Amino acid sequence: MNNNMIKLMNDGFDGEPSKRVLHYVKTKKEQNYPIVGIYCGYAPIEMIQSMGIVPAVLCSFSNIPIESAETVLPANLCPLIKSSYGFIIEGTCPFYSLAQAVIAETTCDGKKKMFELIADIKPTFVMDLPQLPDESCAKDNWKNMILNLKAFLERSFDRKTSDEQIERSLQSANRKNQLMEKIFSFAAFKPSIISWQEMYDIGFIALPSTGEEIIPTLTQLIEKLENRVKEGFYFGNHDSPRVLVTGCPIGGDATKIYNIIEASGGVVVVPDSCTGMKTFMGKFEENTGDPIGALANRYLNIPCACMTPNNKRLDDLSNMIDTFQPDVVIDFVLQACHAYNVESYKVGQHVSEKHGLPFLKIESDYSDGDIGQLKTRIQALFESV
Amino acid sequence: MMKYAGIDIGSRTIELVILESGKIYEKYQTNTGYDPVQAASQLLNGHHYDCIMATGYGRELFQMAYESQTVTEIKAYARGVKEIFPYAQTILDIGGQDSKAISLLNNGKIKKFEMNDRCAAGTGKFLEVMANALGFSIDQFGDEALKATKDLKINSMCTVFAESEVTSLIAKGNNRYEIARGLHASVVRRAVSMMKRISITGEIVFAGGVAKNACIRHLLADALNQEIKVPDAPQFVGAIGAALLARD
Repeated sequence: MNNNMIKLMNDGFDGEPSKRVLHYVKTKKEQNYPIVGIYCGYAPIEMIQSMGIVPAVLCSFSNIPIESAETVLPANLCPLIKSSYGFIIEGTCPFYSLAQAVIAETTCDGKKKMFELIADIKPTFVMDLPQLPDESCAKDNWKNMILNLKAFLERSFDRKTSDEQIERSLQSANRKNQLMEKIFSFAAFKPSIISWQEMYDIGFIALPSTGEEIIPTLTQLIEKLENRVKEGFYFGNHDSPRVLVTGCPIGGDATKIYNIIEASGGVVVVPDSCTGMKTFMGKFEENTGDPIGALANRYLNIPCACMTPNNKRLDDLSNMIDTFQPDVVIDFVLQACHAYNVESYKVGQHVSEKHGLPFLKIESDYSDGDIGQLKTRIQALFESV
Repeated sequence: MMKYAGIDIGSRTIELVILESGKIYEKYQTNTGYDPVQAASQLLNGHHYDCIMATGYGRELFQMAYESQTVTEIKAYARGVKEIFPYAQTILDIGGQDSKAISLLNNGKIKKFEMNDRCAAGTGKFLEVMANALGFSIDQFGDEALKATKDLKINSMCTVFAESEVTSLIAKGNNRYEIARGLHASVVRRAVSMMKRISITGEIVFAGGVAKNACIRHLLADALNQEIKVPDAPQFVGAIGAALLARD
């Protein structure tokens, strides 16, 4: 590790991605842009942006509000759902306070039922996500759902959009996502040129930003990263285990897993979750004459474990393994997330049989009570490399 | 002659092994208590060694206090077992507060491992709480349980729930030996399911403090329908492995 590493974004928010995003959302609000809260990677951001509305990812990654949430929700529930709900009843999520309405996605049963408990606080639109993506009607159903969302946003925000505007928005997102892929590709260097914290920081601000807003920043970051290559900066050592982390979203208190990997001498080269690379992958088809259909196709390709069958996740993992050449794969499952937990068996088989890589499944929550056990497991995994 | 020490700082006990010329020269054990570093330093007091390797959950605390290298208990057990039983391929280790199953490649490297989650279900601590609830000493618990001819099925794996279940079985007038055997069987069921996840192949070695329990050993061999090898001092395998790794 080079101690004289220059801060990548260097805007006063390094290591504090939520503060950076809050600053962005507040600035937009001051410029009279309306704000809508979203929960997950299936929210069609490009359509929201085409209406001049700012999407804000709502808080869900802190352990603190879970205690309040458990006064209503069962303890044995996914920490992400409990945290999201706790933030709302405590009134501690600034993004929720700034938002006029909320878009919620039916990615699991726990969330679906939690949304019912918050639906009377602010206008909430629940998107019914098809979960058999290969069925012939899935794309049309999802497209209809996006059209219904459009009508909801037009009604709630008194804004309009057109096919032309949506087309422009998705083309600019393609450019943004392409640059994000380029930034992630610096982790494919051996050793990696970019840290997990930097990828996480950049992803947090790139997600809600429009292409026009963020492309200049991303271009600068790529220049800085290219300079790092020239100057020989890198993370870890030549023999540090390279880690692909897949599974549930990892943010805030769940980043303990990244910290333990780092403290144990490893380097995260693929943060493959909805808070990592996943939301920037895949391209919107351009100039189809049906931009909402193009949105529907691309979003339905996101390989969340709520989908069945979810072979796309295994294909994507194979591609990432080929590109980033990890030494081990860790599957991070949030407590009580049945979809990711059950799917982990298939992921483990795929990783060890097809790619011959050591695999470790970790089931955890947002508390720090299991850091010792996690350290032992991760260190033992690295010892086996 | 160089002396290599291995210290295994577990949740319940600390073991120290000193090797000279590849043979165990000395071995000692103490309770971990509430101050692992203090307990470890008392155990080390007066013993000479050239190089020490720490393992167990207290390894990092120990490393800060002493100039020591560290290794996970998974690798330490794998190394220790391989020294004692060169043909071992599957290891079950049940300690004070954790349990693990390890499968080894022919060269002794770790192929796969599984560990219990953060709770003490199916570990030494579980047996200790249950022995206490039934009025047996922990040292005699396995032998006493073997006196029963059948086991009463215990459904709860959680230490706290199982204790309530035991209390209600006692209240119904059930035989405490049969309850004891049932509790041992529940530990074995859990261990076997963990072992199946890493796939059971070749020679099986059972180590860790719980391997001293005759009833667990008996029920495990029954469940797997195979002979189970147990080292003479199963609780010292981690410390032996650490000392060997210090030498390697």
